[in-house]
Amino acid sequence: MTTHDSRSALLGELVETARRIRVHVVRIAGMSECHTGGSLSIADLLAALYFHTLKVDPANPGWDGRDYFILSKGHCVPALDAALALRGFFPEAALTTHLELDSIISGHACARLTPGIDVSTGSLGHGLSVATGVALGVRMDGAANRVFVILGDGELQEGSNWEAAMAAAHHGLDHLVAIVDRNRYQTGPTEEMMRLEPLAGKWASFGWAVRVVDGHDMGAVVEALEALPFERGRPSALIALTTKGQGVSFIRNHHMARFDAARLKAALAELGEPADASEETHNG
Amino acid sequence: MAKSFAQVLLELGREDPRICGVSCDCWGFLAPLAAEFPERAIEVGIAEQNLIGVAAGLAVRGKTPFAIGMNPFVTMRCFEQIRTDLGYGARNVKVIGGYGGGMMYAAWGCTHHAVEEMALMRLIPTMTVVMPADVYETEHAVRAAAAADGPFFISLAHGELPSGPPEEERAFRLGEAVLLRDGDAATVVAVGPMVPEALRAADLLSARGLAVRVLNMHTIKPIDRQAILRAAQDTPRIITLEEHTVVGGLGGAVAEVLADAGARTPLTRLGLQDTFAVMCGSREDFWRRFGLSAEAVVEAVVA
Repeated sequence: MTTHDSRSALLGELVETARRIRVHVVRIAGMSECHTGGSLSIADLLAALYFHTLKVDPANPGWDGRDYFILSKGHCVPALDAALALRGFFPEAALTTHLELDSIISGHACARLTPGIDVSTGSLGHGLSVATGVALGVRMDGAANRVFVILGDGELQEGSNWEAAMAAAHHGLDHLVAIVDRNRYQTGPTEEMMRLEPLAGKWASFGWAVRVVDGHDMGAVVEALEALPFERGRPSALIALTTKGQGVSFIRNHHMARFDAARLKAALAELGEPADASEETHNG
Repeated sequence: MAKSFAQVLLELGREDPRICGVSCDCWGFLAPLAAEFPERAIEVGIAEQNLIGVAAGLAVRGKTPFAIGMNPFVTMRCFEQIRTDLGYGARNVKVIGGYGGGMMYAAWGCTHHAVEEMALMRLIPTMTVVMPADVYETEHAVRAAAAADGPFFISLAHGELPSGPPEEERAFRLGEAVLLRDGDAATVVAVGPMVPEALRAADLLSARGLAVRVLNMHTIKPIDRQAILRAAQDTPRIITLEEHTVVGGLGGAVAEVLADAGARTPLTRLGLQDTFAVMCGSREDFWRRFGLSAEAVVEAVVA
Protein backbone atom coordinates (compact mmCIF):
# COMPACT_ATOMS: atom_id res chain seq x y z
CA MET A 1 0.00 0.00 0.00
CA THR A 2 1.29 3.48 -0.74
CA THR A 3 1.55 6.13 1.95
CA HIS A 4 -1.41 7.81 0.35
CA ASP A 5 -3.46 4.63 0.53
CA SER A 6 -2.62 3.95 4.16
CA ARG A 7 -3.50 7.52 5.02
CA SER A 8 -6.85 7.13 3.26
CA ALA A 9 -7.42 3.89 5.10
CA LEU A 10 -6.67 5.49 8.46
CA LEU A 11 -8.98 8.41 7.80
CA GLY A 12 -11.68 6.06 6.55
CA GLU A 13 -11.48 4.06 9.75
CA LEU A 14 -11.63 7.18 11.89
CA VAL A 15 -14.64 8.47 9.97
CA GLU A 16 -16.35 5.13 10.52
CA THR A 17 -15.47 5.22 14.24
CA ALA A 18 -16.96 8.72 14.50
CA ARG A 19 -20.10 7.43 12.81
CA ARG A 20 -20.34 4.60 15.33
CA ILE A 21 -19.90 7.08 18.20
CA ARG A 22 -22.81 9.08 16.77
CA VAL A 23 -24.93 5.95 16.43
CA HIS A 24 -24.38 5.21 20.13
CA VAL A 25 -25.27 8.79 21.08
CA VAL A 26 -28.45 8.60 19.04
CA ARG A 27 -29.38 5.24 20.55
CA ILE A 28 -28.84 6.71 24.04
CA ALA A 29 -31.22 9.51 23.08
CA GLY A 30 -33.67 6.81 22.10
CA MET A 31 -33.59 5.50 25.67
CA SER A 32 -33.42 8.67 27.73
CA GLU A 33 -32.92 12.40 27.57
CA CYS A 34 -29.42 13.05 26.22
CA HIS A 35 -27.13 16.01 25.49
CA THR A 36 -27.15 15.08 21.83
CA GLY A 37 -26.05 18.45 20.41
CA GLY A 38 -22.63 18.77 21.98
CA SER A 39 -22.06 15.01 21.92
CA LEU A 40 -22.54 14.82 18.17
CA SER A 41 -20.34 17.86 17.58
CA ILE A 42 -17.31 16.24 19.25
CA ALA A 43 -17.68 12.74 17.76
CA ASP A 44 -15.00 13.30 15.09
CA LEU A 45 -12.61 14.83 17.60
CA LEU A 46 -13.03 11.90 19.99
CA ALA A 47 -12.56 9.35 17.22
CA ALA A 48 -9.31 11.02 16.19
CA LEU A 49 -8.10 11.32 19.78
CA TYR A 50 -8.93 7.82 21.00
CA PHE A 51 -8.11 5.93 17.81
CA HIS A 52 -5.12 7.90 16.59
CA THR A 53 -3.58 10.41 18.97
CA LEU A 54 -3.91 9.39 22.63
CA LYS A 55 -1.60 6.82 24.17
CA VAL A 56 -3.96 4.81 26.35
CA ASP A 57 -4.21 1.21 27.53
CA PRO A 58 -7.82 0.04 27.92
CA ALA A 59 -6.63 -2.95 29.96
CA ASN A 60 -4.86 -0.61 32.37
CA PRO A 61 -6.70 2.72 32.45
CA GLY A 62 -4.42 4.06 35.20
CA TRP A 63 -1.22 3.37 33.26
CA ASP A 64 1.43 5.97 34.20
CA GLY A 65 2.47 6.46 30.62
CA ARG A 66 -0.98 7.36 29.33
CA ASP A 67 -1.94 10.60 27.71
CA TYR A 68 -4.58 12.26 29.84
CA PHE A 69 -7.92 13.31 28.45
CA ILE A 70 -10.44 15.50 30.27
CA LEU A 71 -13.87 16.22 28.87
CA SER A 72 -14.43 19.60 30.46
CA LYS A 73 -17.88 19.83 28.87
CA GLY A 74 -18.89 16.84 30.97
CA HIS A 75 -22.51 16.82 29.84
CA CYS A 76 -21.36 15.43 26.49
CA VAL A 77 -20.24 12.22 28.15
CA PRO A 78 -22.45 10.04 25.90
CA ALA A 79 -19.94 10.60 23.08
CA LEU A 80 -17.00 9.96 25.40
CA ASP A 81 -18.58 6.82 26.80
CA ALA A 82 -19.17 5.59 23.27
CA ALA A 83 -15.53 6.26 22.34
CA LEU A 84 -14.29 4.51 25.48
CA ALA A 85 -16.50 1.49 24.84
CA LEU A 86 -15.40 1.26 21.22
CA ARG A 87 -11.77 1.58 22.35
CA GLY A 88 -12.32 -1.36 24.71
CA PHE A 89 -12.44 0.21 28.17
CA PHE A 90 -15.75 -1.53 28.82
CA PRO A 91 -18.32 -3.47 26.77
CA GLU A 92 -20.46 -1.56 24.31
CA ALA A 93 -23.51 -3.19 25.91
CA ALA A 94 -23.01 -0.97 28.96
CA LEU A 95 -24.09 2.00 26.83
CA THR A 96 -27.62 0.64 26.77
CA THR A 97 -27.89 1.20 30.54
CA HIS A 98 -27.54 5.01 30.44
CA LEU A 99 -28.75 6.47 33.78
CA GLU A 100 -30.20 3.15 34.96
CA LEU A 101 -29.87 1.77 38.47
CA ASP A 102 -26.21 0.92 39.17
CA SER A 103 -25.13 1.65 35.59
CA ILE A 104 -21.57 2.82 34.94
CA ILE A 105 -22.97 5.24 32.35
CA SER A 106 -23.79 8.46 34.18
CA GLY A 107 -25.41 11.66 32.94
CA HIS A 108 -22.18 13.61 33.41
CA ALA A 109 -18.61 12.30 33.21
CA CYS A 110 -17.91 10.35 36.39
CA ALA A 111 -14.41 9.05 37.08
CA ARG A 112 -15.71 7.04 39.99
CA LEU A 113 -18.16 5.04 37.88
CA THR A 114 -16.76 4.81 34.38
CA PRO A 115 -13.49 3.06 33.48
CA GLY A 116 -11.24 5.26 31.36
CA ILE A 117 -12.52 8.58 32.70
CA ASP A 118 -9.77 10.31 34.68
CA VAL A 119 -11.63 13.35 35.93
CA SER A 120 -15.28 13.85 36.86
CA THR A 121 -16.80 16.85 35.15
CA GLY A 122 -20.19 18.41 34.59
CA SER A 123 -19.78 21.78 36.23
CA LEU A 124 -18.33 23.93 33.47
CA GLY A 125 -15.01 25.68 33.76
CA HIS A 126 -13.16 23.05 35.80
CA GLY A 127 -11.38 20.90 33.22
CA LEU A 128 -8.68 23.26 31.99
CA SER A 129 -7.43 23.99 35.52
CA VAL A 130 -7.25 20.31 36.35
CA ALA A 131 -5.50 19.61 33.05
CA THR A 132 -3.00 22.35 33.85
CA GLY A 133 -2.29 20.65 37.16
CA VAL A 134 -1.85 17.26 35.51
CA ALA A 135 0.55 18.82 33.01
CA LEU A 136 2.56 20.40 35.82
CA GLY A 137 2.68 17.04 37.62
CA VAL A 138 3.89 15.32 34.47
CA ARG A 139 6.63 17.91 34.17
CA MET A 140 7.67 17.35 37.80
CA ASP A 141 8.19 13.70 36.84
CA GLY A 142 10.23 14.63 33.79
CA ALA A 143 7.75 12.49 31.85
CA ALA A 144 6.41 12.77 28.31
CA ASN A 145 2.66 12.31 28.84
CA ARG A 146 0.45 14.78 27.06
CA VAL A 147 -2.75 16.27 28.43
CA PHE A 148 -5.81 16.96 26.27
CA VAL A 149 -8.99 18.80 27.21
CA ILE A 150 -12.13 19.35 25.19
CA LEU A 151 -13.92 22.53 26.17
CA GLY A 152 -17.26 23.79 24.98
CA ASP A 153 -17.32 27.25 23.46
CA GLY A 154 -20.15 28.42 25.71
CA GLU A 155 -18.16 27.01 28.60
CA LEU A 156 -15.48 29.61 27.93
CA GLN A 157 -17.80 32.21 29.43
CA GLU A 158 -16.77 30.78 32.81
CA GLY A 159 -13.92 32.97 34.05
CA SER A 160 -12.01 30.11 35.62
CA ASN A 161 -10.97 28.97 32.13
CA TRP A 162 -9.04 32.17 31.65
CA GLU A 163 -7.31 31.81 35.00
CA ALA A 164 -6.14 28.42 33.77
CA ALA A 165 -5.27 29.70 30.29
CA MET A 166 -3.09 32.38 31.86
CA ALA A 167 -1.33 29.91 34.16
CA ALA A 168 -0.73 27.22 31.52
CA ALA A 169 0.93 29.74 29.22
CA HIS A 170 2.87 31.35 32.06
CA HIS A 171 4.29 27.95 32.98
CA GLY A 172 5.03 27.08 29.35
CA LEU A 173 3.07 23.82 29.27
CA ASP A 174 3.53 22.78 25.66
CA HIS A 175 2.35 19.25 26.41
CA LEU A 176 -1.11 20.65 27.19
CA VAL A 177 -3.73 20.86 24.45
CA ALA A 178 -7.08 22.62 24.72
CA ILE A 179 -9.56 21.70 22.02
CA VAL A 180 -12.49 24.08 21.79
CA ASP A 181 -15.69 22.57 20.38
CA ARG A 182 -16.77 25.72 18.60
CA ASN A 183 -20.33 24.73 17.75
CA ARG A 184 -21.63 28.25 18.42
CA TYR A 185 -24.62 27.12 20.45
CA GLN A 186 -25.23 26.79 24.16
CA THR A 187 -28.91 26.81 25.16
CA GLY A 188 -29.12 29.47 22.44
CA PRO A 189 -26.73 31.08 19.93
CA THR A 190 -23.45 31.71 21.74
CA GLU A 191 -22.46 34.89 19.95
CA GLU A 192 -25.85 36.44 20.77
CA MET A 193 -25.89 35.30 24.38
CA MET A 194 -22.31 36.28 25.21
CA ARG A 195 -19.90 37.04 22.42
CA LEU A 196 -16.64 35.06 22.34
CA GLU A 197 -15.12 36.46 19.15
CA PRO A 198 -12.36 37.08 18.44
CA LEU A 199 -11.88 33.64 19.97
CA ALA A 200 -8.56 32.67 18.38
CA GLY A 201 -7.24 36.10 19.30
CA LYS A 202 -8.25 35.60 22.92
CA TRP A 203 -6.23 32.39 23.20
CA ALA A 204 -3.29 33.90 21.36
CA SER A 205 -3.30 36.93 23.61
CA PHE A 206 -3.11 34.62 26.63
CA GLY A 207 0.06 33.11 25.20
CA TRP A 208 -1.27 29.99 23.48
CA ALA A 209 -0.32 28.73 20.04
CA VAL A 210 -3.61 28.57 18.17
CA ARG A 211 -4.94 26.70 15.16
CA VAL A 212 -8.44 26.71 13.75
CA VAL A 213 -9.71 23.61 12.02
CA ASP A 214 -12.93 22.20 10.55
CA GLY A 215 -13.87 19.86 13.40
CA HIS A 216 -15.77 17.55 11.05
CA ASP A 217 -13.00 17.22 8.45
CA MET A 218 -11.16 14.15 9.71
CA GLY A 219 -8.13 14.77 7.55
CA ALA A 220 -7.77 18.30 8.86
CA VAL A 221 -8.34 17.22 12.48
CA VAL A 222 -5.73 14.48 12.28
CA GLU A 223 -3.26 16.76 10.57
CA ALA A 224 -3.67 19.33 13.34
CA LEU A 225 -3.26 16.72 16.08
CA GLU A 226 -0.12 15.44 14.38
CA ALA A 227 1.30 18.96 14.35
CA LEU A 228 1.24 19.22 18.16
CA PRO A 229 2.71 21.09 19.87
CA PHE A 230 1.95 23.99 17.57
CA GLU A 231 4.85 25.88 19.09
CA ARG A 232 7.58 24.86 21.55
CA GLY A 233 7.14 26.40 24.97
CA ARG A 234 3.48 27.27 24.57
CA PRO A 235 0.30 25.30 25.23
CA SER A 236 -1.71 24.54 22.10
CA ALA A 237 -5.30 25.63 21.46
CA LEU A 238 -7.15 23.89 18.67
CA ILE A 239 -10.39 25.63 17.82
CA ALA A 240 -12.56 23.05 16.10
CA LEU A 241 -15.34 24.61 14.05
CA THR A 242 -18.25 22.25 14.50
CA THR A 243 -22.00 21.95 14.19
CA LYS A 244 -24.13 21.21 17.20
CA GLY A 245 -26.01 18.01 16.45
CA GLN A 246 -23.74 17.13 13.50
CA GLY A 247 -24.99 14.07 11.67
CA VAL A 248 -28.68 14.34 12.50
CA SER A 249 -30.18 17.19 10.52
CA PHE A 250 -33.43 17.60 12.42
CA ILE A 251 -31.78 18.29 15.79
CA ARG A 252 -29.17 20.72 14.50
CA ASN A 253 -28.35 23.30 17.18
CA HIS A 254 -30.54 21.55 19.75
CA HIS A 255 -28.93 21.21 23.16
CA MET A 256 -30.75 18.05 24.24
CA ALA A 257 -32.98 15.48 22.61
CA ARG A 258 -35.05 12.45 23.48
CA PHE A 259 -36.05 10.38 20.46
CA ASP A 260 -39.26 8.47 20.12
CA ALA A 261 -39.12 5.40 17.91
CA ALA A 262 -39.88 7.24 14.70
CA ARG A 263 -37.26 9.93 15.27
CA LEU A 264 -34.74 7.36 16.40
CA LYS A 265 -35.26 5.45 13.17
CA ALA A 266 -34.90 8.64 11.16
CA ALA A 267 -31.74 9.65 13.02
CA LEU A 268 -30.17 6.24 12.56
CA ALA A 269 -31.09 6.31 8.87
CA GLU A 270 -29.25 9.62 8.47
CA LEU A 271 -26.21 7.96 10.04
CA GLY A 272 -26.48 5.04 7.64
CA GLU A 273 -27.41 2.66 10.42
CA PRO A 274 -30.36 0.27 10.10
CA ALA A 275 -32.75 0.32 13.04
CA ASP A 276 -32.76 -3.04 14.80
CA ALA A 277 -35.80 -5.27 15.15
CA SER A 278 -36.95 -3.98 18.54
CA GLU A 279 -36.78 -0.40 17.32
CA GLU A 280 -38.92 -1.41 14.30
CA THR A 281 -41.49 -2.95 16.64
CA HIS A 282 -41.74 0.14 18.84
CA ASN A 283 -42.21 2.19 15.75
CA GLY A 284 -45.62 0.64 15.21
CA MET B 1 10.09 24.39 69.31
CA ALA B 2 7.42 24.17 66.62
CA LYS B 3 8.39 25.02 63.07
CA SER B 4 6.68 27.29 60.61
CA PHE B 5 4.44 25.84 57.93
CA ALA B 6 6.98 26.77 55.26
CA GLN B 7 9.73 24.87 57.07
CA VAL B 8 7.52 21.84 57.69
CA LEU B 9 6.52 21.75 54.03
CA LEU B 10 10.18 21.72 53.02
CA GLU B 11 10.93 18.87 55.43
CA LEU B 12 7.94 16.91 54.12
CA GLY B 13 9.14 17.61 50.60
CA ARG B 14 12.54 16.14 51.40
CA GLU B 15 10.92 12.99 52.80
CA ASP B 16 8.41 12.45 49.99
CA PRO B 17 8.93 13.48 46.37
CA ARG B 18 5.16 13.62 45.83
CA ILE B 19 4.82 16.61 48.16
CA CYS B 20 4.45 19.88 46.27
CA GLY B 21 3.02 23.33 46.86
CA VAL B 22 0.67 25.57 44.90
CA SER B 23 0.42 29.20 45.88
CA CYS B 24 -2.32 31.71 45.27
CA ASP B 25 -0.25 34.85 45.76
CA CYS B 26 1.15 33.35 48.99
CA TRP B 27 4.65 32.54 47.76
CA GLY B 28 6.30 33.12 51.13
CA PHE B 29 4.80 29.87 52.39
CA LEU B 30 6.46 27.97 49.55
CA ALA B 31 9.75 29.85 49.39
CA PRO B 32 11.87 27.28 51.30
CA LEU B 33 10.41 24.40 49.24
CA ALA B 34 10.93 26.38 46.05
CA ALA B 35 14.54 27.13 46.92
CA GLU B 36 15.35 23.44 47.17
CA PHE B 37 12.84 21.94 44.72
CA PRO B 38 11.94 24.71 42.28
CA GLU B 39 9.83 22.47 40.03
CA ARG B 40 7.64 21.41 42.97
CA ALA B 41 6.49 24.89 43.97
CA ILE B 42 3.97 26.53 41.68
CA GLU B 43 2.52 30.03 41.70
CA VAL B 44 -0.87 30.48 40.06
CA GLY B 45 -1.37 34.14 40.85
CA ILE B 46 -4.51 35.59 42.41
CA ALA B 47 -6.82 32.90 41.09
CA GLU B 48 -8.38 30.63 43.71
CA GLN B 49 -10.49 28.59 41.31
CA ASN B 50 -7.42 27.74 39.29
CA LEU B 51 -5.44 27.09 42.47
CA ILE B 52 -7.76 24.27 43.45
CA GLY B 53 -8.15 22.92 39.93
CA VAL B 54 -4.39 22.81 39.43
CA ALA B 55 -3.95 21.09 42.78
CA ALA B 56 -6.61 18.54 41.81
CA GLY B 57 -4.73 17.90 38.56
CA LEU B 58 -1.47 17.39 40.41
CA ALA B 59 -3.26 14.83 42.57
CA VAL B 60 -4.58 13.13 39.42
CA ARG B 61 -0.91 12.65 38.54
CA GLY B 62 -0.26 11.14 42.00
CA LYS B 63 1.19 14.17 43.73
CA THR B 64 0.32 15.38 47.24
CA PRO B 65 -0.22 19.09 46.72
CA PHE B 66 -0.60 21.69 49.45
CA ALA B 67 -2.72 24.49 47.95
CA ILE B 68 -2.37 27.70 49.89
CA GLY B 69 -4.33 30.92 49.85
CA MET B 70 -5.91 33.39 52.24
CA ASN B 71 -8.69 31.81 54.34
CA PRO B 72 -11.69 33.85 53.19
CA PHE B 73 -10.85 33.49 49.52
CA VAL B 74 -9.46 29.97 49.46
CA THR B 75 -12.62 28.63 51.10
CA MET B 76 -15.30 30.78 49.46
CA ARG B 77 -14.23 31.90 45.98
CA CYS B 78 -13.42 28.34 44.96
CA PHE B 79 -15.89 26.48 47.13
CA GLU B 80 -17.29 24.59 44.17
CA GLN B 81 -13.82 23.51 43.01
CA ILE B 82 -13.08 22.21 46.50
CA ARG B 83 -16.43 20.45 46.70
CA THR B 84 -16.38 19.01 43.19
CA ASP B 85 -12.73 18.56 42.23
CA LEU B 86 -11.43 17.55 45.67
CA GLY B 87 -14.44 16.11 47.51
CA TYR B 88 -16.42 14.38 44.76
CA GLY B 89 -13.15 13.94 42.85
CA ALA B 90 -11.63 12.22 45.92
CA ARG B 91 -8.30 13.99 45.46
CA ASN B 92 -5.42 13.95 47.90
CA VAL B 93 -5.14 17.72 48.15
CA LYS B 94 -4.43 19.71 51.30
CA VAL B 95 -6.07 23.12 51.19
CA ILE B 96 -4.26 25.55 53.46
CA GLY B 97 -5.74 28.77 54.77
CA GLY B 98 -2.52 30.67 55.24
CA TYR B 99 -3.79 33.89 56.77
CA GLY B 100 -7.10 35.33 57.80
CA GLY B 101 -8.91 32.55 59.66
CA GLY B 102 -12.12 33.65 61.41
CA MET B 103 -11.89 37.38 62.11
CA MET B 104 -8.11 37.63 62.14
CA TYR B 105 -8.43 40.59 59.80
CA ALA B 106 -10.81 42.39 62.18
CA ALA B 107 -11.09 46.04 61.10
CA TRP B 108 -9.75 45.27 57.64
CA GLY B 109 -13.34 44.43 56.95
CA CYS B 110 -15.92 41.74 56.30
CA THR B 111 -14.52 40.97 52.84
CA HIS B 112 -11.54 39.52 54.70
CA HIS B 113 -13.42 37.65 57.40
CA ALA B 114 -13.60 33.89 57.00
CA VAL B 115 -16.30 33.27 59.57
CA GLU B 116 -17.99 30.74 57.27
CA GLU B 117 -14.89 28.61 56.60
CA MET B 118 -15.59 25.87 59.15
CA ALA B 119 -19.23 25.47 58.11
CA LEU B 120 -18.37 25.38 54.43
CA MET B 121 -15.49 22.94 54.63
CA ARG B 122 -17.43 20.72 57.01
CA LEU B 123 -20.19 20.32 54.42
CA ILE B 124 -17.97 18.38 52.06
CA PRO B 125 -17.99 14.59 52.41
CA THR B 126 -14.56 13.05 53.21
CA MET B 127 -13.04 16.46 53.97
CA THR B 128 -10.96 16.61 57.15
CA VAL B 129 -11.18 20.07 58.70
CA VAL B 130 -8.59 21.27 61.18
CA MET B 131 -8.15 24.62 62.90
CA PRO B 132 -5.09 24.33 65.13
CA ALA B 133 -4.76 26.62 68.13
CA ASP B 134 -1.07 27.37 67.74
CA VAL B 135 2.09 26.63 65.79
CA TYR B 136 2.68 23.36 67.62
CA GLU B 137 -0.67 22.00 66.51
CA THR B 138 -0.21 23.48 63.06
CA GLU B 139 3.02 21.57 62.54
CA HIS B 140 1.43 18.32 63.65
CA ALA B 141 -1.76 18.89 61.66
CA VAL B 142 0.26 19.50 58.51
CA ARG B 143 2.32 16.35 59.06
CA ALA B 144 -0.84 14.35 59.75
CA ALA B 145 -2.44 15.70 56.58
CA ALA B 146 0.59 14.72 54.51
CA ALA B 147 0.47 11.20 55.93
CA ALA B 148 -3.26 10.73 55.32
CA ASP B 149 -4.98 10.17 51.99
CA GLY B 150 -7.83 12.50 51.04
CA PRO B 151 -8.71 16.17 51.07
CA PHE B 152 -7.94 18.38 54.07
CA PHE B 153 -8.56 21.95 55.04
CA ILE B 154 -6.17 23.38 57.59
CA SER B 155 -6.33 26.94 58.85
CA LEU B 156 -2.81 27.81 59.94
CA ALA B 157 -2.15 29.28 63.38
CA HIS B 158 0.91 31.46 63.71
CA GLY B 159 1.16 32.13 67.46
CA GLU B 160 1.96 30.24 70.62
CA LEU B 161 -0.75 29.07 72.98
CA PRO B 162 -0.39 31.09 76.21
CA SER B 163 -0.66 29.21 79.50
CA GLY B 164 -0.82 25.92 77.67
CA PRO B 165 1.05 22.81 78.78
CA PRO B 166 4.76 22.49 77.95
CA GLU B 167 5.40 21.08 74.50
CA GLU B 168 6.85 17.77 75.72
CA GLU B 169 3.57 17.03 77.50
CA ARG B 170 1.46 17.71 74.45
CA ALA B 171 0.12 15.39 71.82
CA PHE B 172 -1.80 16.03 68.63
CA ARG B 173 -4.11 13.42 67.25
CA LEU B 174 -6.51 14.14 64.40
CA GLY B 175 -10.11 13.94 65.52
CA GLU B 176 -9.24 13.94 69.19
CA ALA B 177 -10.06 16.93 71.38
CA VAL B 178 -7.35 18.13 73.75
CA LEU B 179 -8.35 18.37 77.40
CA LEU B 180 -6.70 21.57 78.59
CA ARG B 181 -8.48 22.00 81.95
CA ASP B 182 -10.84 19.77 83.83
CA GLY B 183 -13.76 20.72 85.97
CA ASP B 184 -17.42 20.04 86.62
CA ALA B 185 -19.10 23.45 86.46
CA ALA B 186 -19.37 23.43 82.66
CA THR B 187 -17.47 22.43 79.54
CA VAL B 188 -16.09 25.05 77.20
CA VAL B 189 -15.36 23.70 73.72
CA ALA B 190 -13.16 26.12 71.81
CA VAL B 191 -11.40 26.15 68.49
CA GLY B 192 -8.42 27.95 66.99
CA PRO B 193 -7.82 31.50 68.18
CA MET B 194 -10.60 31.13 70.76
CA VAL B 195 -8.71 28.51 72.75
CA PRO B 196 -6.68 31.13 74.67
CA GLU B 197 -9.94 32.95 75.45
CA ALA B 198 -11.39 29.73 76.80
CA LEU B 199 -8.34 29.31 79.04
CA ARG B 200 -8.69 32.90 80.22
CA ALA B 201 -12.35 32.20 81.01
CA ALA B 202 -11.29 29.17 83.01
CA ASP B 203 -8.93 31.36 85.02
CA LEU B 204 -11.64 33.98 85.65
CA LEU B 205 -14.05 31.27 86.78
CA SER B 206 -11.41 29.62 88.93
CA ALA B 207 -11.06 32.91 90.81
CA ARG B 208 -14.76 32.57 91.57
CA GLY B 209 -14.30 29.02 92.75
CA LEU B 210 -15.70 27.40 89.61
CA ALA B 211 -13.74 24.76 87.72
CA VAL B 212 -14.63 24.29 84.06
CA ARG B 213 -13.50 21.71 81.57
CA VAL B 214 -11.81 23.22 78.52
CA LEU B 215 -11.62 21.22 75.30
CA ASN B 216 -9.55 22.36 72.36
CA MET B 217 -11.54 20.98 69.42
CA HIS B 218 -8.86 21.47 66.77
CA THR B 219 -10.47 18.95 64.43
CA ILE B 220 -13.92 20.13 63.39
CA LYS B 221 -14.38 17.15 61.10
CA PRO B 222 -14.40 14.34 61.98
CA ILE B 223 -15.43 15.79 65.34
CA ASP B 224 -14.64 14.05 68.61
CA ARG B 225 -18.11 12.75 69.49
CA GLN B 226 -16.88 10.88 72.55
CA ALA B 227 -15.39 13.98 74.13
CA ILE B 228 -18.60 15.91 73.53
CA LEU B 229 -20.85 13.19 74.90
CA ARG B 230 -18.60 12.70 77.93
CA ALA B 231 -18.85 16.43 78.59
CA ALA B 232 -22.63 16.18 78.27
CA GLN B 233 -22.63 13.52 80.97
CA ASP B 234 -20.03 15.02 83.29
CA THR B 235 -20.97 18.69 83.23
CA PRO B 236 -24.33 20.52 83.41
CA ARG B 237 -23.71 22.85 80.46
CA ILE B 238 -21.67 22.99 77.26
CA ILE B 239 -20.48 26.24 75.77
CA THR B 240 -18.94 26.39 72.33
CA LEU B 241 -16.62 29.26 71.48
CA GLU B 242 -15.50 30.07 67.95
CA GLU B 243 -14.48 33.10 65.95
CA HIS B 244 -17.00 32.07 63.31
CA THR B 245 -20.68 32.05 62.63
CA VAL B 246 -22.36 29.63 65.00
CA VAL B 247 -24.37 28.39 62.01
CA GLY B 248 -22.79 25.18 60.84
CA GLY B 249 -19.39 25.62 62.41
CA LEU B 250 -18.16 24.31 65.78
CA GLY B 251 -21.41 25.27 67.51
CA GLY B 252 -23.43 23.61 64.80
CA ALA B 253 -21.27 20.48 64.85
CA VAL B 254 -21.53 20.10 68.65
CA ALA B 255 -25.29 20.70 68.52
CA GLU B 256 -25.64 17.93 65.96
CA VAL B 257 -23.69 15.48 68.11
CA LEU B 258 -25.81 16.29 71.16
CA ALA B 259 -29.09 16.14 69.26
CA ASP B 260 -28.23 12.89 67.50
CA ALA B 261 -27.40 11.28 70.85
CA GLY B 262 -30.53 12.63 72.52
CA ALA B 263 -28.42 14.47 75.08
CA ARG B 264 -30.34 17.10 77.02
CA THR B 265 -27.39 19.04 78.31
CA PRO B 266 -27.99 22.77 77.66
CA LEU B 267 -25.79 24.21 74.94
CA THR B 268 -24.70 27.82 74.52
CA ARG B 269 -23.10 28.63 71.19
CA LEU B 270 -20.83 31.67 71.38
CA GLY B 271 -19.69 33.10 68.08
CA LEU B 272 -21.17 35.35 65.44
CA GLN B 273 -24.93 35.08 65.77
CA ASP B 274 -25.84 35.03 62.09
CA THR B 275 -24.55 38.52 61.43
CA PHE B 276 -21.76 40.34 59.62
CA ALA B 277 -19.25 41.90 62.00
CA VAL B 278 -19.28 45.44 60.63
CA MET B 279 -17.12 47.66 62.81
CA CYS B 280 -13.64 48.97 63.40
CA GLY B 281 -11.46 48.11 66.33
CA SER B 282 -8.95 45.51 67.43
CA ARG B 283 -9.58 41.80 67.06
CA GLU B 284 -10.30 41.70 70.79
CA ASP B 285 -12.79 44.55 70.36
CA PHE B 286 -14.63 42.36 67.85
CA TRP B 287 -14.70 39.49 70.33
CA ARG B 288 -16.14 41.70 73.06
CA ARG B 289 -18.72 43.37 70.80
CA PHE B 290 -19.97 40.11 69.38
CA GLY B 291 -19.95 38.12 72.60
CA LEU B 292 -17.17 35.67 72.05
CA SER B 293 -14.77 36.73 74.79
CA ALA B 294 -13.75 35.07 78.05
CA GLU B 295 -16.21 37.36 79.81
CA ALA B 296 -19.04 36.05 77.65
CA VAL B 297 -18.06 32.51 78.63
CA VAL B 298 -18.08 33.47 82.31
CA GLU B 299 -21.52 34.98 81.89
CA ALA B 300 -22.82 31.84 80.21
CA VAL B 301 -21.44 29.62 82.99
CA VAL B 302 -22.74 31.63 85.94
CA ALA B 303 -26.11 32.40 84.31
